Amino acid sequence: MSHRILLADDEIHIRRAAEFKLKREFEVSCAEDGQEAWEMLLKDRPDVLITDLQMPRMNGIELIEHIRANEATADLPVILLTAKGFELAREDIFNTLKVFQLLSKPFSPRELCRLAQMAIEGHESRQTALVTTQV
Amino acid sequence: MLIANKVQRYEVKLLLAITIGLALAWVIEPTLPASNFTVRMFLAIGCLVTAGAIFRLDAMLQSGSEKNAQRYIDMLCRLDHHDLAAAELNGTLPKLPENDHWQPIFSRVRQCLVEYGRRADEAEHNWTSVEIKLRRVANEYSRLNDFANGLPDAALATNPYGEIVWANQAARKLFALEIDANTPVLAAEQLKCAALVDVLGDTLKRQSATHRASELEIAGAAGELCWYRLNCRALLGESEDGQPELNGAVLVLADISSERGVQKRHAEFVSAASHEMKTPLAGIRAYVELLLDGEAEDDETREEFLSVIDSQADRLQRLIENLLNLARIEAGVEKVDKQNHSLNELLESAHSVVQPSSEQKQITLTIDLSPMYLGVLADRDMLMQSAINLLSNAIKYTEPGGKVTLRSRMEENAAVFEVEDTGVGLSDEDCAKVFEKFYRVKKDQKMAPGTGLGLPLAKHIVEDVHGGSLTVSSRLGTGSIFRVSLPSHSRMQC
Repeated sequence: MSHRILLADDEIHIRRAAEFKLKREFEVSCAEDGQEAWEMLLKDRPDVLITDLQMPRMNGIELIEHIRANEATADLPVILLTAKGFELAREDIFNTLKVFQLLSKPFSPRELCRLAQMAIEGHESRQTALVTTQV
Repeated sequence: MLIANKVQRYEVKLLLAITIGLALAWVIEPTLPASNFTVRMFLAIGCLVTAGAIFRLDAMLQSGSEKNAQRYIDMLCRLDHHDLAAAELNGTLPKLPENDHWQPIFSRVRQCLVEYGRRADEAEHNWTSVEIKLRRVANEYSRLNDFANGLPDAALATNPYGEIVWANQAARKLFALEIDANTPVLAAEQLKCAALVDVLGDTLKRQSATHRASELEIAGAAGELCWYRLNCRALLGESEDGQPELNGAVLVLADISSERGVQKRHAEFVSAASHEMKTPLAGIRAYVELLLDGEAEDDETREEFLSVIDSQADRLQRLIENLLNLARIEAGVEKVDKQNHSLNELLESAHSVVQPSSEQKQITLTIDLSPMYLGVLADRDMLMQSAINLLSNAIKYTEPGGKVTLRSRMEENAAVFEVEDTGVGLSDEDCAKVFEKFYRVKKDQKMAPGTGLGLPLAKHIVEDVHGGSLTVSSRLGTGSIFRVSLPSHSRMQC
């Protein structure tokens, strides 16, 4: 069974290009804004979330805060895909929001695919380690 | 001595000689053959009379000398010391007889008084010149103080011990300072800004011609934080033995809050502009990579990818053009050529430019212009550009079948035009932000391509270039009215 990825971006062209590449290896679903992504997340329980920062209704930061605050989704690996520049506080993104990786736009779909793969592998190895420890 | 003095006078000498002669005659007379008692009696009486005359004359002479002395003293007392020297010179002072016994005393007194008068004159002259200099220095000080108080920058000076000895009005206001020359206050206690006190302390400690500059945030007397550029300089003088000596330090604080604000807005603008450019560029790069990786397996997909690249390149180009346009007008590079124009005629031209796009979208574009002549002093191209931007914006965000109306009218001293649509409308929050650069209502972005620069440009043209106003009133789901008000300008000129 292939892994599932949720992709949230309000730009249709970005969504379409990323989805086109990712769907070769993963099962991909798309959301147009943060609110829709949050609802789909609770329903579909994807393995990785790739999200934009600036989105209507609920922005990327708010979405990740929701994810971390919810026990069921707190461990979800998140890749932030953004065109935002210097105003991002990297400290907050990596330490507080525990974002797995930040990919700047313009981006390479190939690179995005590789990062998604790494995020899943990292998450799985952490899960295995956790199970081993518990046993 | 007194007698010797008296004898020196010739009247006394004469009388004395007669008395002696008569006395001798009286002594000799009995020895003469023709001695006569009567003659002897006359000689004796004559002798006594002349002796009495001598005493009388002496008394008279003495009283005359006293009167002279009195007159002399009175005259000296009446004389101002200014006149004394002149009186001495002109010989108007009473002359005492050379053999008067008061003469040497008065002569000495006169000399002393003349000398005193000369010195008094000299002192008065010196005092006057000192007074003039003092007044000049006071005026100069007051003028310099006025200059210093007129400066927008806060300036203060300390002595070598770090006590504030002078502060201009801006500094007194900034730090709520009460400066009294007699009781200097310590800068460390009054300035209430650790960084500032450190710089001052460091400057005074080095005791050399140091100059420190830095930028720091200082809370004013009312507690508000402002950015200041600080310049601190040591004041060096020379000691009595010619060695360099520290006289204190001078601090100047220039308020750079507005510069900081401009820098911040500039940074925000660059960030927003680069974000807007990155989005289409992201599409282009992603689809190019997909094509290069051979992800598009059929012609239809390849075509789709290429058309996305094309549209995104087009979007990027429009964005750059609009940005440059806005920057040119904002920076004043674009020459403004204001002339008398008919607003109605100008609006008709703008209407004809957007007519094809409204027809294409099946939107009824109505024009309802005032029958009056509405004169405006305007740059035709620029004002038309803002009217076109407002009209195309209305067409973009109105569903097919909707209506857009362009109308004009006269309102008091203003020529007004409005663009009303039956489009999607704006929320109150969107109304407040719709004139910000790059702001686009997210939910409506799918309706039409845009850069978020059309409305800011129109606002800049109307308000900054033409001194008018551009406002919006809208109701979500019902439509919007963009209203432009321009100062009316009559063409009736001689």
